[in-house]
Amino acid sequence: MSHSDCFHCALPVPPNEEFQVEIDGKLKAVCCPGCKAVAELIRDSGMSNYYTMRDAPTPGVGRPADDQAEWQVFDSAEMLATFATVAGDTATATIYVGKMYCTACSWLIETTLAKTSGISSANVNPITHRLSVSWDSHVLGLGGVLATLANLGYEPQPLAPESAARPEVAEQRTALKRLLVASLGMMQVMMFAIGLYAGDFQGMSGEMQTFLRVISLIVTTPVVFYSARPFFESAWRGVAARSPGMDLPVAIAIGAAYAASIYATFTNGEAVWFDSVVMFVFFLTLGRFLEMRARHRSIDRSTALSTMLPNTVTRIENGANRVVPAAQIVPGDRLLFRPGDAIAADGIITTGKTTVDEALLSGEARPQSRTGGDAVVAGSINIDGAIEVEVRATGGNTALGMISRLSERARYARPAFVQLADRIASYIVVAILFIAAVVAISWYLYSPERAFVVTLSVLVVTCPCALALATPAAFAAAGTRLAELQLLVTNGNAIEVLSRATTVLFDKTGTLTRGTPVITATQVVERVFNESQCLRYAAALETISTHPIANAFVARDTAIVATDQRVAVGDGVEGTIDGQRWRLGRHDYAAPDAMIPAADARNGTRVFLGADGQLIAVFTLADELRPGTAETLQKLEALGLRLGLVSGDSDDAVRTTAGALAIENYHAACSPGDKLDIIHRMQGAGDVVVMVGDGINDAPVLAGADTSVAPSHGAMLAQTSADIVMPGESLEPLATGVRAARQTMRIVRQNLAWAIVYNATALPLAAMGHVPPWAAAIGMSASSLIVVLNALRLSRYA
Amino acid sequence: MNILYLLIPLALLLLGVAVWIFFWAVGSGQFDDLDTPAMRIVMDDDTKPDDESSE
Repeated sequence: MSHSDCFHCALPVPPNEEFQVEIDGKLKAVCCPGCKAVAELIRDSGMSNYYTMRDAPTPGVGRPADDQAEWQVFDSAEMLATFATVAGDTATATIYVGKMYCTACSWLIETTLAKTSGISSANVNPITHRLSVSWDSHVLGLGGVLATLANLGYEPQPLAPESAARPEVAEQRTALKRLLVASLGMMQVMMFAIGLYAGDFQGMSGEMQTFLRVISLIVTTPVVFYSARPFFESAWRGVAARSPGMDLPVAIAIGAAYAASIYATFTNGEAVWFDSVVMFVFFLTLGRFLEMRARHRSIDRSTALSTMLPNTVTRIENGANRVVPAAQIVPGDRLLFRPGDAIAADGIITTGKTTVDEALLSGEARPQSRTGGDAVVAGSINIDGAIEVEVRATGGNTALGMISRLSERARYARPAFVQLADRIASYIVVAILFIAAVVAISWYLYSPERAFVVTLSVLVVTCPCALALATPAAFAAAGTRLAELQLLVTNGNAIEVLSRATTVLFDKTGTLTRGTPVITATQVVERVFNESQCLRYAAALETISTHPIANAFVARDTAIVATDQRVAVGDGVEGTIDGQRWRLGRHDYAAPDAMIPAADARNGTRVFLGADGQLIAVFTLADELRPGTAETLQKLEALGLRLGLVSGDSDDAVRTTAGALAIENYHAACSPGDKLDIIHRMQGAGDVVVMVGDGINDAPVLAGADTSVAPSHGAMLAQTSADIVMPGESLEPLATGVRAARQTMRIVRQNLAWAIVYNATALPLAAMGHVPPWAAAIGMSASSLIVVLNALRLSRYA
Repeated sequence: MNILYLLIPLALLLLGVAVWIFFWAVGSGQFDDLDTPAMRIVMDDDTKPDDESSE
């Protein structure tokens, strides 16, 4: 964090601002009154530890919500019934906490809530971002709980009980029970097995031997029928679908060994294999459990659809406005959206005229004009007019819902690489069954009493589990690690392609640069005012504007208040301060008669500030490079990657950026078609191209590249066509990601080599009868475990 | 050695009880979050020992 960054949220502190907070006896600079308030709240609650404990200050986190009234709707008994379960005085609810980034956040939330009167318990899962909170419903309403979270700067979203129940939880509970039954069963049966082996050497009464065998049978039975049930089910599915999976030999081995042991128990046979059975089941269940955990972790939690929509909406009921939770609206409802509101559902405008920002969906940053009869979509922002909308679709049926479902599906699709491994495994299964049959027949002819044992060993030892696990285990671990490194992989192929990449192409706006304008220069024309004053006056005027440019002038000082404010759509804003009429916006609007001062050397949009028609100051707004971009590009070059810049922007702007970042290969004024041509030309020359970009114009370009990366605050659509999404502010994860992808493929190759060598060595030994079933079970389990552990090395990769 | 005929079934009984308790614990959600407890240990609150929020 550099000197000029906000201590609390790490956004740059605007020049000429002097907000400070004293933490641990030191004065720290913060960027705005909001951050100051939050930092003081944290300090005064004795929670300054938050700042030492958090992983990294995350830009934009911890800005308090502006609108407290929003939460009051949730205080009603009706809301409590919808979102919470009430037992006596205690209400319990699950709340999705948006904008939560690290363990320190969960600590802050839990400690703050625990100190809030009325709240009896609060538990946050930092992995799933879900808060489970119980409170006394007489002391506090649901709205009060939500407002407390919002005051800390998070974005709470109460979840209805049905959406709070997640299938992963049920899956994990079952898997845990299966694992425990298998592990306890294994411990017990191994103990009895030691007794039986000792009996073989020292002598044991036949009665005692049968007793120990029956006990082993009793303990093994739930292990086979409960813990190993998924293997039988999956084996049967494979057979029914005529594509035998790797669970088929597993199921045959478990079933056959179990059946033969029961037979031996009751006929006083030579040996029982209950110990092999339980050990086999335990190691397989353990492997599956670890795999499941890795999979659950990589389920993305940052793009939950509900978090993009507002919590409450204003519904028009018999001519009266009523604020209701967004979850209650249905098609046919008439909703009122005021300027600045997020639109909660797809619908048609019935009255009113406005402009909307649909950047989330279309990537088009410029506001779009909408009037009566036009469609508006959920997730867009109503900018400057009040509109009445008749709802056509809500929730999952909206365009936004469709898009998130598409990206959800992409995440669950198995990469081609893994599918290939699955197909190969199914051939191997057929081959194993064939070999086992040949071994069984040969041994039956040569030495019938050993035929069963040897065949069992062959089935167990050759289980292609290690082979089948080699790739998915590595990919699951890599996916988790990459998510921790702020790279969300939506398409498994991306890791493999990223490891082979030779060229990285960048888009400029919103990718190398921040994509949101900041004030880069202030020219004061009227020397009566200083720069800081001009900025404050401008900020005071912009308080009513929702135009993207207004964000550059975030409210800095509440001492200056503009009255009688008005937005002139397309021109700017105006208001009265100290009896003077101030205008901020285009030149001919702010000060039509004034001379335009010579342009500053830096390119950018110029915004004029005028008072009573007299020009006071000129602000230059421009798009800044993302922090750390130059360092990241150097790292990528050090990894042997060629870099390029393709942009639709003008030649001048692109040359400046390329020069600043020392990129030699740049193309300016490219249409999406041109960009695609450039990519195809590079691919024709044998390059593997990674495209980094956002915006709808880039969607086909991203799809045309070998793999694609999108910074996530870009357009939603670009995210869905991108294989990898970067939710962070910096490009830094890209360099780490390339190294991690290469390491992943190294591990996949090691795993495959190990699995092949293991099976090739073990098979002939087992077929010749040198491997007893218990050793085969250990060998097979150990080989799979080695593969999983080798893959898990990736989760520590930095 | 005859004592084994009593002790081993007794052990099985205890095993059954242990499994039953574990199933109950899983069912009541005590194992739903396997990540946070590992982190919680480093988050103690040195300002004021608090009550129900930690378990």
